[in-house]
Amino acid sequence: MAQIPNLDNAPVNLTSIREQSQKELVNLLKNIRGKKCLVVDPKLGGSLSLIIQTSILKEHGVELRHLSADPVQTDCIKVVYLVRSQPSLMKLICSNIQNDGSKGLQREYYVYFVPRRTVVCEKVLEEEKLHQMVTIGEYPLYIVPLDEDLLSFELDLAYKDCLVDGDTSSLWHIAKAIHKLEFSFGVIPNVRAKGKASVRVADILNRMQAEEPVNTPDMVVPEINTLILIDREVDMVTPLCSQLTYEGLLDEFLHVNNGSVELDASIMGVQQQEGKKMKVPLNSSDKLFKEIRDLNFEVVVQILRQKATSMKQDYTEMTTTTQTVSELKDFVKKLNSLPEMTRHINLAQHLSTFTSKPSFLGKLDMEHTIVEAQSYDICFEYIEEMIQKQEPLLNVLRLLILFSITNAGLQKRHYDYLRRELLHSYGFEHMKTLNNLEKAGLFKKQESKSNWPTIKRALQLVVDDTDTANPNDIAYVFSGYAPLSIRLVQHAIRSGWRPVEEILKLLPGPHLETKRGGFSNSPSFDNLSGASTNIAKVPDGRRALVLVVFLGGVTFAEISALRFLSAQEGMAYDVIIATTKVVNGHTLVETFVEKLG
Amino acid sequence: LLWKESWELGKNPMASKGSPLHGPRIKLIEKAKDLFADTKEHAFESKAAEEHARLLRIQHDLEVTTKQAIFVDSSISDTIRTCIVLGNHRAAMKVKTEFKVSEKRWYWLKVFALSTIRDWDALEKF
Repeated sequence: MAQIPNLDNAPVNLTSIREQSQKELVNLLKNIRGKKCLVVDPKLGGSLSLIIQTSILKEHGVELRHLSADPVQTDCIKVVYLVRSQPSLMKLICSNIQNDGSKGLQREYYVYFVPRRTVVCEKVLEEEKLHQMVTIGEYPLYIVPLDEDLLSFELDLAYKDCLVDGDTSSLWHIAKAIHKLEFSFGVIPNVRAKGKASVRVADILNRMQAEEPVNTPDMVVPEINTLILIDREVDMVTPLCSQLTYEGLLDEFLHVNNGSVELDASIMGVQQQEGKKMKVPLNSSDKLFKEIRDLNFEVVVQILRQKATSMKQDYTEMTTTTQTVSELKDFVKKLNSLPEMTRHINLAQHLSTFTSKPSFLGKLDMEHTIVEAQSYDICFEYIEEMIQKQEPLLNVLRLLILFSITNAGLQKRHYDYLRRELLHSYGFEHMKTLNNLEKAGLFKKQESKSNWPTIKRALQLVVDDTDTANPNDIAYVFSGYAPLSIRLVQHAIRSGWRPVEEILKLLPGPHLETKRGGFSNSPSFDNLSGASTNIAKVPDGRRALVLVVFLGGVTFAEISALRFLSAQEGMAYDVIIATTKVVNGHTLVETFVEKLG
Repeated sequence: LLWKESWELGKNPMASKGSPLHGPRIKLIEKAKDLFADTKEHAFESKAAEEHARLLRIQHDLEVTTKQAIFVDSSISDTIRTCIVLGNHRAAMKVKTEFKVSEKRWYWLKVFALSTIRDWDALEKF
């Protein structure tokens, strides 16, 4: 099955985005004549594989290498580096070039920055006196379509950069990406933003539109109707809870990366030598996966079992009774889905070895207790014990941050005590980590009373009776907790910010609601409930489109919840999700942990 | 500015990890501690830095006496565990009292350490 997802069913033409990126890359390579060695930043490798097949690269005489500290082994005279704009990567390139120089190799070097060059990086090259030797260019890859309704800007560190280092260049990057989308799909008339960073992105976006306007003919209705920007800062609770959807669990335990997971071949039932890794693609081109990815894992197991039994039944029927040709055809069609079945049965089996562990269930319990925010002492003691048992630092920090956020910080006495225990158990080098977390407001001492209980009640975040098999609310993705971020989106789509203004004020960051472009005169854009009248205008009967952008990352569980929302009756919108990166509690907290030495 | 400076200092010794010259490193940390102490808000950081310096001294001594370079750069809990695993209960006790390790954590560490070396008798006894 293809690694690259099929985007034909996407609500807007995402294939064109991919093709454009592909064409730009090919052109870039064509301009360098002859055979060349393409050295790719390992972090970019995954994104590139979603855009272009290696076979196409080979057609253009390209040898592929990953960038590392080791010198490049190739016969090519032309070496093309494709890297993110990070000074540390510049250092690697420099050492590569110097190594060639000391061996007396004469090569031509090209450095292409993704998505754009920065002064800092060029300075590094200058300092090493290599500036004259390399040709510098840009490869403007701003958006990578991960699936038919999911786009990623691939900015892993955006959240930490903004909160800890005060580096907001990622916001510009996001605005630029949205602006690029507008060139293809028209100016988005309604914008709703919540959170500091979101409002800034909206500002930058307006400025870009003023400087470099997207011209849309007056009568054409833009393909995307509404843009909703949500800042991760607004809802840090959700990503820290363990996700319970199929795709979410896959990510928690096996780390989904650019639409695939890598795991031991033995898990997938392939007879191969020990320790061999294989890649399993996960996207909606896989019909079965599309059906079950967003469901609660409990249900997934049942469905897989049902399917397997029904297939077995078909098979026995087939062998016992005589069949007509058309029945045979049907059967063969069903057999075609067999490899997908086995794949997901294997994966589900592997996952349940994790989920059936008492420690996992205990952790879930604790997460719910913390979110309920009623028994402070129990939570505190649980975390204390985790630290003393030296459980993996990231697990501890996840719960600790969750605890700190729902309580708006810890009492000073407890705060200092836990900090000391942490340093004692995990070493003093984590001082910087603690400082990062404090700066980001994720783990701090209590300054005011927590308004989490109010928010929780007002937005109905904890739902007691959730039926995971036939969900009627988004709370099913966490078996009883409805993600705050998605509740906000729900309100934003339905009625705009106005009715929930009081609650928005309790959450961090400002909010904003504006209309743009020449649409202020068309009456029914006022709120989206009126948008149903507009649907008729959208060509070929498609539904109105909402683009939801998460700044600072989004989890698979939240994506599932959004898909669930847009599949509801009475929801007249398709949803496209864009994010700086698909994250989970682990990867998010990891960015704050400082690696020293 | 002062704060930034002290952070730089606090970071430096970590960055120079694995250097055999522990003398200067300890001095550096102590200097960081003093810098932290200058401002009131950083009392916690100052104390942590002081403890770190003390820990490094003890670890250094332990490495000399046991002739194994396994102590430096591990945390207090790790140090205690290593001591117990090596059967050096006196040293473990000393680290415990030196840093006022709480009884709860002490018991966890002891249980873990004793079970790694399968010293079931000692585990039974305590």
